Amino acid sequence: MKKIKENPIIKKLGFNRIILTGVLILMYVILSFSVKNFAGMPRIMSALNYAYFLGFLSLGVTFVIATGGIDFSIGPVMFCCALISGYSLTSLGVPMLPALIISILVGLIFGTFNGYLVAYWKVPPFIVSMASMNIAKGVASVFTKTQSVSWPQLAKGGWFRLLVKNGQIPIGVVIFLAIAVICSIILNHTKGGRYMLSLGSNREAVRLSGVDIKKWEMLAYVICGVLAGIAAIYFVGAYTTVQPGYGDQYNNEAIAGCVMGGTSMAGGLASIGGTVIGVFIIALLQEGILALGFTKDYQLIMTGIIVIVAVYADVMARRRKN
Amino acid sequence: MGEVILEMKDIDKSFPGVHALDHVCFDVRRGEVHALMGENGAGKSTLMKVLTGIYTKDSGTIIYEGKEIEFHGTREAQDAGVVIVHQELNMVGHLTVAQNIFIGREFKKGFSIDDRKMNEEAAKLFKRLNIDIDPTATMSDLTVGKQQMCEIAKAISHDAKVIIFDEPSAALTETEIEDLFKIIRDLRDQQLGIVYISHRMDEIKVITDRVTVMRDGCYVGTLITADSTKEDIVSMMVGRVIYEEPKTKSMVPDDAPVVLKVDHLCAGKMVQDVSFELRKGEILGFAGLMGAGRTETARAIFGADPKESGDIYVNGKLVEINSPEDAVKAGIGYLSEDRKRFGIVVQKTIAENTTMADLQNYMKGLFIDKKKEKKVAQEFVDSLATKTPSVDQLVVNLSGGNQQKVVIAKWLCKNSDILIFDEPTRGIDVGAKNEIYKLMNKLASEGKSIIMISSEMTEILRMSDRIVVMCEGHKTGELRIEETKQELIMSLATRDIG
Amino acid sequence: MEKKKAPAKIFKQELIVFLVVVALLIFFCAASEDFRKYTTILTIMDYSYYIVLMAIGVAFPLITGGVDLSIGTGLVCYSLAGGYMIVHMGLPVWLAMIVTILFGIVIGTLNGFLIGVMGLPPFLATLCTCMITRGLGSICSGNFGISWPASGQDGSWFRNIFKYTAGDTKIPLGFIWVLILAIVMHYVLNHTKIGRYTIAIGSNKEAAILSGINVKFYHIMAYVISGFFAALAAIAYSAVFGTVLPGTGAGFELEAIGGAIIGGVSATGGAGSIIGTFIGVFVICLLKTGLPFIGLQANWQQIVTGLVLIGSVMVDIVKKSKEAKK
Repeated sequence: MKKIKENPIIKKLGFNRIILTGVLILMYVILSFSVKNFAGMPRIMSALNYAYFLGFLSLGVTFVIATGGIDFSIGPVMFCCALISGYSLTSLGVPMLPALIISILVGLIFGTFNGYLVAYWKVPPFIVSMASMNIAKGVASVFTKTQSVSWPQLAKGGWFRLLVKNGQIPIGVVIFLAIAVICSIILNHTKGGRYMLSLGSNREAVRLSGVDIKKWEMLAYVICGVLAGIAAIYFVGAYTTVQPGYGDQYNNEAIAGCVMGGTSMAGGLASIGGTVIGVFIIALLQEGILALGFTKDYQLIMTGIIVIVAVYADVMARRRKN
Repeated sequence: MGEVILEMKDIDKSFPGVHALDHVCFDVRRGEVHALMGENGAGKSTLMKVLTGIYTKDSGTIIYEGKEIEFHGTREAQDAGVVIVHQELNMVGHLTVAQNIFIGREFKKGFSIDDRKMNEEAAKLFKRLNIDIDPTATMSDLTVGKQQMCEIAKAISHDAKVIIFDEPSAALTETEIEDLFKIIRDLRDQQLGIVYISHRMDEIKVITDRVTVMRDGCYVGTLITADSTKEDIVSMMVGRVIYEEPKTKSMVPDDAPVVLKVDHLCAGKMVQDVSFELRKGEILGFAGLMGAGRTETARAIFGADPKESGDIYVNGKLVEINSPEDAVKAGIGYLSEDRKRFGIVVQKTIAENTTMADLQNYMKGLFIDKKKEKKVAQEFVDSLATKTPSVDQLVVNLSGGNQQKVVIAKWLCKNSDILIFDEPTRGIDVGAKNEIYKLMNKLASEGKSIIMISSEMTEILRMSDRIVVMCEGHKTGELRIEETKQELIMSLATRDIG
Repeated sequence: MEKKKAPAKIFKQELIVFLVVVALLIFFCAASEDFRKYTTILTIMDYSYYIVLMAIGVAFPLITGGVDLSIGTGLVCYSLAGGYMIVHMGLPVWLAMIVTILFGIVIGTLNGFLIGVMGLPPFLATLCTCMITRGLGSICSGNFGISWPASGQDGSWFRNIFKYTAGDTKIPLGFIWVLILAIVMHYVLNHTKIGRYTIAIGSNKEAAILSGINVKFYHIMAYVISGFFAALAAIAYSAVFGTVLPGTGAGFELEAIGGAIIGGVSATGGAGSIIGTFIGVFVICLLKTGLPFIGLQANWQQIVTGLVLIGSVMVDIVKKSKEAKK
């Protein structure tokens, strides 16, 4: 076992990520055999639709968890972005492009709000998440007067749907992977990423090295917010309608994708590649559960258990090291 | 001295990669104070943790009051009468003194806790120990010294037969130490067995009857304190006699330029009106007892903690330092006493730690130039002789001395001209210690200016060109190395201030 | 001298919160004529019961330095399970109540085990159980809303526990019960082992372990208390409101945690007051019932609650940093 782990090629790819990829493929194979027509294109497209918005949320929360924090307001924030921009588009007559920008801006504002409170005021992240989750729901409801919003179809000027897919070509995959690569570069090859990871591991040591840790910690939440804004675009691109007052179930799934991919809840250790694979597993799982005839509720329970197991594995790994 | 109450024979304990205890023997008699000595990492604390059941031993026997026993946790040990007074204070700050003393075995009246009785019992205990503490005071409001007294009261309240003091004097003032010794002597006279772990040679001579020395997890030997000299004990501890010649004269010319001037610095209770100057190429020693305010002074200068008033001049210019960021820009580097918490990011590589403070100079556009980073880190590994297979090694895998070198490399990489070394050799073995000393002398001769905070008198005398002594937040003296004597520093460090 | 000071210091926070409640009352009374009615009091009381009960429970995990996010969805899940047993399985109400409470205790124990024994971060573990209870609630109710017996029906006696109808007037009896429970739990926190060790875990867990306390057990107990009170809250909720809908309940925990923190429970653990929590909840309830009277729709209340929570944590942080300077 140890020998396998130390093999240079495997080390480079990451043992954890190889196993996860294996799990992903295995799941796909099993589902293909047990469910009729599972292997067909419609199912794959459906799973991908789920993977996009979840993937952006998960990428965002990876940055926050890398700093040792948490953000479980992202689901409702994503809905808030989609509702405010959608309402502007359909009821206030804002053109498409500015509406998309509004979506990202709303995400940015929430990210900045969360980050500012956590980094500069030292409010515990879970309090900030809880509060801004409800603020996001409230703001969205007030703004849309508690009406659901439907985004236009492709034929009626909904060109943003081309970002998701063009006919049968899943353009979303390309964009999602491209943004994942950018995230990976930010995390591993820039000053911001280096400091985020380091302060997640030992914030005092980084601060005493003369680094403005507040700025970098806040940046993680800002990135998370912006990605929630992008996630909103992909959510409506796939599912068209959003309703105020919802969105919390996606928090857990986003966090699940992230911790399954090997990002440590204690901070300091994060893998964007792992998050991407983790997200695909969650998306496939949700598709599989529906295909097997279960309801969404089983998905909630499954995700809950997955997060518990993944985090426990991380806790154990750290205990063994000490 | 009475009969043997507790005996540990052939205790063996291994952790992954470390043989922490190698067939160690130790015993305590009724009515004696038995010192347990050794360098950091010699295995003293591990031995005591095995005794009280925090760790389970791999082999060996423990005989207590004539019976072979094995405790499974502090609770069992306490109930049997073996109690530790811990080095770090283990008090629950939000509870009162009495609630802390009786935590885990509260008096009960029906379903509820009988706080009145606990207060009465605590008051009785304090009376017996002759100390004046209000049992209803909230623990976090007490001074460190008083908290220590509460720990002792707690230990005694267990009807203890063996009490282990783990470096009890580290944070105490001179008068508090005297009180402590009075208590310890009383306890000894009541036929308790007392284990006293300490680094301070003078205390060992004053308070203990026997000394057992450990080194690298092994038992070295036991001496009768009255019959042995300080040198005997030291040589047993280090295994070889190191030649520690005190510096006899300053290496810095009197007209060397002042690089750092601290003027009437105030920051909380621990830093009150501190002023001093640091010259180019000088090693300025900061002596004093623990809790004298030296670390607090350093942290205030470095901007790590907020300061209330006072000015800091670097190279004659007034600088505004409100955060470590400002201090680093002004050319100051700080090596904390607690490396693991404040110095290094253990889960990162040597290279990443080396460039931590100077990352902007390792950027290629938006990206980090990892090649350059590794090259420079390698240069520092070579010049500081850090023992590591590569710069990609995670710092967590290095020994204490090598970790310290990584921290030094971080500040050298930033090219800081003023370096504050806070207890630079704490937790570092003897060989590595000498290397750190050599390195500091070399840096000073190259024109860096160093403030060295140290609680080890030999270190202060060996390294400093000039010495500032602090006591209870005040600067109580400034001495040239030529006129310095250990006794003089000691009296300044323990001077009672109104 | 000093001994006299101590009680004053302890109840200072409670007094301030109480004054805030009074100020809010005066404000709403002055701002809206409709507010000054007996029915308003009944509405405030109706909302207060389940929030107070959840808040009393969640104060314990908060004081250990953790949090329980599963109480909101948990409440709905327990209520659905209990209701299902009454409506579809014909269980008597008292038995269903016991099952409901047991269910709460089981989820509480699960939380406690995940956090105290397995060492998962509290917000994460309870976020998971939050989702799990939400799924369970929907599954066991078959995704339909369930009503416990309405007034007049068989087994509706339990509704009188909280709102007693004497002739034409309705008396909010529940206030007395929750007040008694609050006083009991205040006593439990300050004068029993469970309470004392809860504080010890939040203040200095290491010290608690070294004192030989069975920290794991007491850590679990804090979450059991939280689950137990969430189940009591489920009963109160079912008694006061008509139909319980699956998929709801998210956001209740914010009101409860908000109430506890306003009432002086430290967001970082180690200190707290149950009486303060009790009063703190009324700040939330007053805002909830009062805001519509001054023309803000119900959704504003979510926003205001979020802001009030952050505001009270910030006040706590500023206060602590001032104390640290002293």
